[in-house]
Amino acid sequence: MTAVTLEAPRRRRSPLARKLFPYLLVMPAVVYLLSITLYPGIYALYRSFYGGKFKLEWAGLDNYKQLLTDYEFFNALWNTMLLGSITLLAEFALAMLLAALVYRDPWVKGFRIIFLLPMLLMPSAVTFIWKLMFNDGRIISDLIKRIGLIDFNIDWMFSPALARFVVIFTDVWQWTPFLFIIFVAGLQGQDKEVEEAARLDGASWWSTFFNVSLPMMRPIIAVALILRGIDILNMFTPIQLITHGAPGGATETLSYYINRVAWDGPDFGYASAISVVVLILTVILAQVLVRRYFRSGTES
Amino acid sequence: MKSKRSIIGTIILLSWAVVSIWPIWYFATIALRPRVEIIAPDPIYWPTFTMETWAKIWEEWPMMKYFFNSIAAVAGSVFICLLLGIPAAYSLARYRYKGREDIGNYILSTKMMAPVVVAIPLYVLFAQMRMLDTVWALMLVYAAINLSIVVWIIRSYMIDIPHEIEDAARTDGASDLRILWEIIIPMCLPGIITAAVIASVFAMNEYLLTLIIGRKEAYTMSIALANFKGGSDGIIYNAIALIAFMAFFPILLLIILIQNHLSRGLTMGAVKG
Repeated sequence: MTAVTLEAPRRRRSPLARKLFPYLLVMPAVVYLLSITLYPGIYALYRSFYGGKFKLEWAGLDNYKQLLTDYEFFNALWNTMLLGSITLLAEFALAMLLAALVYRDPWVKGFRIIFLLPMLLMPSAVTFIWKLMFNDGRIISDLIKRIGLIDFNIDWMFSPALARFVVIFTDVWQWTPFLFIIFVAGLQGQDKEVEEAARLDGASWWSTFFNVSLPMMRPIIAVALILRGIDILNMFTPIQLITHGAPGGATETLSYYINRVAWDGPDFGYASAISVVVLILTVILAQVLVRRYFRSGTES
Repeated sequence: MKSKRSIIGTIILLSWAVVSIWPIWYFATIALRPRVEIIAPDPIYWPTFTMETWAKIWEEWPMMKYFFNSIAAVAGSVFICLLLGIPAAYSLARYRYKGREDIGNYILSTKMMAPVVVAIPLYVLFAQMRMLDTVWALMLVYAAINLSIVVWIIRSYMIDIPHEIEDAARTDGASDLRILWEIIIPMCLPGIITAAVIASVFAMNEYLLTLIIGRKEAYTMSIALANFKGGSDGIIYNAIALIAFMAFFPILLLIILIQNHLSRGLTMGAVKG
């Protein structure tokens, strides 16, 4: 500090410079982000009016017209919603159950590290773990056989329900810890005395949890579910590495579909048109969610 | 509340612990098992370990290259994130000015961008700049993915620093940049480290965009393992497992380092746990 005092008085900056200073600090980050969000958005919009594989051919609104009657697109949209909501719900229920069981436990740190482990593997690695467990190594089938429920190996890619189950399971196994960690912190952060007061009034453990703890957790739950929800809507890795959208497109998500259209065709124009639609949906969703839930949760 | 956990509760916790650990343990043994044991007609649960497969994998695949590609891309991206993110966080946390809320919201909302949507434009962009299949491109992309998280995490820690400390320094005549460098940054170091660790983990894990940019030279661990298919051998699970754990242990160490800040970091500062 003495060094600072010795240098004083420092040159004073003009009022204008003072006013611009905070903008100057934030600008590099904003410019950088604009270049990877705005630029791709504009490029995708531009490209969506063109057909052709590598040589551009003007197509007008053809790509968008095609989209309206594209069964596969709506199928992918539906799958994204279906897989997404089941996955999110399962992860939420499981994470909340586990968090409720451990948050006042003396062993909570130990459980936290153990439950965290799946999240620390790369998603592509996790995908291969379960590809091996379900398909290639037939380990899950073997375990069920040992219990005596079945006497054959299950072909997990045969029925839409089973293939979807594998994809959902993979995500739930890896990412339930994400919600769990947040919920434990949220539950630990709340006032112990409120809980105890409810207990003294004779409320049971479950009723205390549901009527006192859970409502207080609402903003935290919202933030956690939004963050997880975004990732789930973009689900790609397990689809690309385990199911390839099979059987019959039952596990094809939007991310996988756009990627497939873009590179297998390759049809950048059509893929761009779908991207633009998805982008518009995300921008609307993001605006609503960010404004509604994040500010209230973060403003201190 | 003294937790008198019921027996059912204990069973649930222990079963989930087993479900979490056993597949990881099983996969870890895969790295050291002979290939015939991995995809056998009936699964073999008691492994016979051999160093042979390990040596073979090391010979056949440039494992170290994948490792260093990942490390370089991740480290570079975190550096960019901090370089751009710390001033931005400081600006959002400490100054009042027109448009601040909107700028903050915009930065946050980039987190919601679907990677697949930006994939084609970025591919075209990097192709024009002749940067496809380079670690540099990956660095730039990872930095872009993580910048929003880094800014918001650090911002949340900066808000907690009392204003008085800065005011005192300001009366002593310290410039704003100097206050940032000598007071704010040291005081929110836990936040900066948390942000850096979480950004590293996400960058390490990135798959879709890496797949599109990395063709051969810039393979990182996360996409290299998807490529271990050796003709008649099928998928080479030994190599996949080995790569998986080469990435796993550094991440585990980093996460243990910040474990008390983890929930705050994962929620971008929304939960102060």
